[in-house]
Amino acid sequence: MELYELDLYDASNGIKEKKFSPAELFESCRKRIDSCEDNIHAFITRTDDKAPVIENPEGILAGVPTVLKDNLCTKGIRTTAASKILGNWKPPYDASAWKYLREAGAVLMGKVNMDEFAMGNTCGNSAFGPTHNPNDISRVPGGSSGGSAAAVSAGYVPFALGSDTGGSIRQPASYCGVYGMKPTYGMVSRYGLISYGSSLDQIGPFARTIRDLQLVMSVIARYDPMDSSCFREKHYDFSHSEDVSIKGKRIALVKEFQNFTLDTPIAEAMKKTKKILEDNGAVITEVSLPIVSKYAVACYYALAMSEAHTNLERYDGVRLGYTVKDAAGIKEMFERVRSYGFGSEVKSRIIAGTCLTEPSRCEEYYVAATKVRTLIAQEFKRAFGECDFILQPVTPSLPHKIGEENEDAMKGYETDLYTLPVNLAGLPGLSFFTGYDDASKLPVGLQLIGPRWSDPDILNTGVILERHLGSPKIANGGVK
Amino acid sequence: MSELIFTPVIGIEIHIRLKSDSKLFCSCSTNTDAAPNTNICPICMGLPGSLPHMNHRVVEQGMLAGFALNCGIRPKSLFFRKSYFYPDLPKGHQISQCDLPITTAGYIEVHDSEGKLKKIRVNHLHLEEDVGSLHHSASDGRLEGASTSYVDYNRSGTPLAEIVSEPDVASAAEAVEYVTTLRRRVIYSGASEVELEKGMMRFDANVSMKCSDGRWGKKVEVKNMNSFKALERAIEFEIKRQKKIMLQGGEVMQETRHWNDAKGVTSPSRVKESYRKFIVEPDLPPLHISQEWIDRVHSRMPEMPDVRANRYVHDMGLTQEAADILTDDRKVADYFESCVNAGANPVRAANWIRTEVMRVLNETQKKIADFNIKPEVLAEIVKRVDDKKLSTTQAKEVFDYMCANNAGLDDSVKKLGITEGGVAGNALNEIIANVIKANPDVLAEIQSGKDMKGKKFKFLQGLVMKESKGQAKPQEVAEALTAALKN
Repeated sequence: MELYELDLYDASNGIKEKKFSPAELFESCRKRIDSCEDNIHAFITRTDDKAPVIENPEGILAGVPTVLKDNLCTKGIRTTAASKILGNWKPPYDASAWKYLREAGAVLMGKVNMDEFAMGNTCGNSAFGPTHNPNDISRVPGGSSGGSAAAVSAGYVPFALGSDTGGSIRQPASYCGVYGMKPTYGMVSRYGLISYGSSLDQIGPFARTIRDLQLVMSVIARYDPMDSSCFREKHYDFSHSEDVSIKGKRIALVKEFQNFTLDTPIAEAMKKTKKILEDNGAVITEVSLPIVSKYAVACYYALAMSEAHTNLERYDGVRLGYTVKDAAGIKEMFERVRSYGFGSEVKSRIIAGTCLTEPSRCEEYYVAATKVRTLIAQEFKRAFGECDFILQPVTPSLPHKIGEENEDAMKGYETDLYTLPVNLAGLPGLSFFTGYDDASKLPVGLQLIGPRWSDPDILNTGVILERHLGSPKIANGGVK
Repeated sequence: MSELIFTPVIGIEIHIRLKSDSKLFCSCSTNTDAAPNTNICPICMGLPGSLPHMNHRVVEQGMLAGFALNCGIRPKSLFFRKSYFYPDLPKGHQISQCDLPITTAGYIEVHDSEGKLKKIRVNHLHLEEDVGSLHHSASDGRLEGASTSYVDYNRSGTPLAEIVSEPDVASAAEAVEYVTTLRRRVIYSGASEVELEKGMMRFDANVSMKCSDGRWGKKVEVKNMNSFKALERAIEFEIKRQKKIMLQGGEVMQETRHWNDAKGVTSPSRVKESYRKFIVEPDLPPLHISQEWIDRVHSRMPEMPDVRANRYVHDMGLTQEAADILTDDRKVADYFESCVNAGANPVRAANWIRTEVMRVLNETQKKIADFNIKPEVLAEIVKRVDDKKLSTTQAKEVFDYMCANNAGLDDSVKKLGITEGGVAGNALNEIIANVIKANPDVLAEIQSGKDMKGKKFKFLQGLVMKESKGQAKPQEVAEALTAALKN
């Protein structure tokens, strides 16, 4: 067994017990990257050219390599959000979540690919070209945190950070066959995360075991005064234990979602998972989410695009990133910088956001969406009075082939119905591995959602699911 | 046909820099005089990934300013993003308040054209961040036409309060009194220094005209006034311009106009107002202000100038005019009160401050905080005059000497050779002896009895007074001189 195959837990213990050195682990991961990266193309910027400097050799993550989605700011290291508009910008500061990892001893292997400004679900909307799914390199890894999911799936690193605005952690985790956690909004500081939809964005981890997610969450779930939406009330215990129980827990399916068709492997996974939960003493129930099922997608896009267009107003070529020197005036400079710098998906969302918040339409769309959002949050709150968790798919189908994107943009949006509402209500959601589809050999993931701040309980349930469903294997990464 | 009467309808928007060591949404220094782009951080530079967080001490400054305008404080207020593109605006939007600003409505009292008190209603005060400052290489100092422009973000994120009045102002004079009174009250509250020369107060005015024939002209927004004088002139210009259009039967266009201070005219804005939109600032939670917090900040509010002036009139016997002058500047009023607390008679202390102190401050271009004569010392001077230790003339001489030489009271008295309480007894006799000795011919004339009309006597008496530097009492001099001549 190679060192890169170890999960975070074993890698970190191995270093502490001096079974191997951080340099050996680093080298093993680097070789793994070298052998697969031509096939996968997960990186935007590699930082593994020299031996790692471990900031805290006593830290809980001492010497463990990781990668970050390229919308997390890293001091002195190029951060692009997969956009041309940021050019070679090197932030003068670290994102808080990365700072916490660094201070716990983690080592950065590089910055990984994503859909530009986290807008997309294929990791194909990147100025740096698409990332490939390590389980089948002809397929998409999902997005927008596709680089993070692919890096963990291919064994580049035992864990990675991504961000989830409408499913951007959970969907690629599911497509790549790893675990991905979208924490409760406010659980992890967003300071230093390049904003897409500020009220929806949340940073979270990818890993190949639940206990690794727990370990990473124990490091990054911390109050940060730099993020006003970050929690400050209490400490959340993410310690791992095998001695957990779901006896008597009510786990619900959403009534309105039962009419939607699912691809067979996903429907099968739902059946299998339900049975495991029941076998472990949980009660399977049903909750009704009529407003969510009808309005969540429209509400989400109205809010995400409205916030996005204001978040992206700062890219004007004045202070950083791509700029033009020969513009005739300031207006021309803005126009040329933004016309060239942004990709087409980003531009279409900026235009949509601009229209949705235009004074004559603002009440009808943006303001209405904020009201619907309140109703959605209330609906979930009511539902979680009737159940402890909700079990549902992440997506209705398995990853498609690169280049076979759905032409109908609105249809593409509908596939997000399982992930978007979670962000609207600020809930935690775990994307977990259920096994491999016999026919395609692709991994199949499902999702467990809980009330706000139930992140530790969701992960404890994940421990039981992993025990019965098995942990994912490292994907071959296109290497025969 | 009866003559048409035009009534101006004016609303005023004021931006005031709030006093704070740190910026509104980060901990950078607010010192805008520092070398360009030295007081900046990822937040006030709007760098990707940065998030604003509320500086609660600035919130308190906003509350104080609100109290000064008789506004209430809202228990929950919201922040919004005001979008437009400009190089001095790092995020492409300004974080401001629109719906649910920090204060509710208030008012300021001014005198109308008949001298009666009237209320100018304040719609609200809200908090917002300032933008950076641009420096253009173009000859006219403007962005358009400049080949190179520089941005200094030191000012970016410094805290502003925007104060929006209702259209209750009826003339340029009222406008000036409104902003003068408002400024004085805000300074009193401690919310801002409002140093006009540092551009800490900027004005926009909405001017429209109502005609007695029922016509009502459209609202014109006039921007870019940075002084009381500019505000007054811009409003006067705009009133005349609109009246002329309406008299000719024309229609006033709704537009934004730019005040050109050098030319003394308003002209249509060259740059069309950017199209602005507002969405809720998702990075800042609603600002909750508890009653306990409101009470705590309110307890810091000092007595407002009008209340103070009333007290001076009713408790200390000052005239309204004197009281108004003294309370115009809180620091002068504080100086006056320290003087009175040190035992000076209030009326005389007030006179000294209004005349002598203000004259010297004016001549030396100093602020009262930097004035070398402390209030306790001025009180001592006033007391010595009251106790007849110094004549008024002497006291002024001493005062001027102290100012000019940065000297203490007793030193100055000594240096000027003043004997407090006057020249009498042996000192007086000595002077008389000397005067007589120096004028033997006059003495001879008096002794020979030729000084029938007492002219020579008066001459000697004058010399003695002169020698005593006016510190001898004339009656005593006459008596002592008569006695000396008899010997």
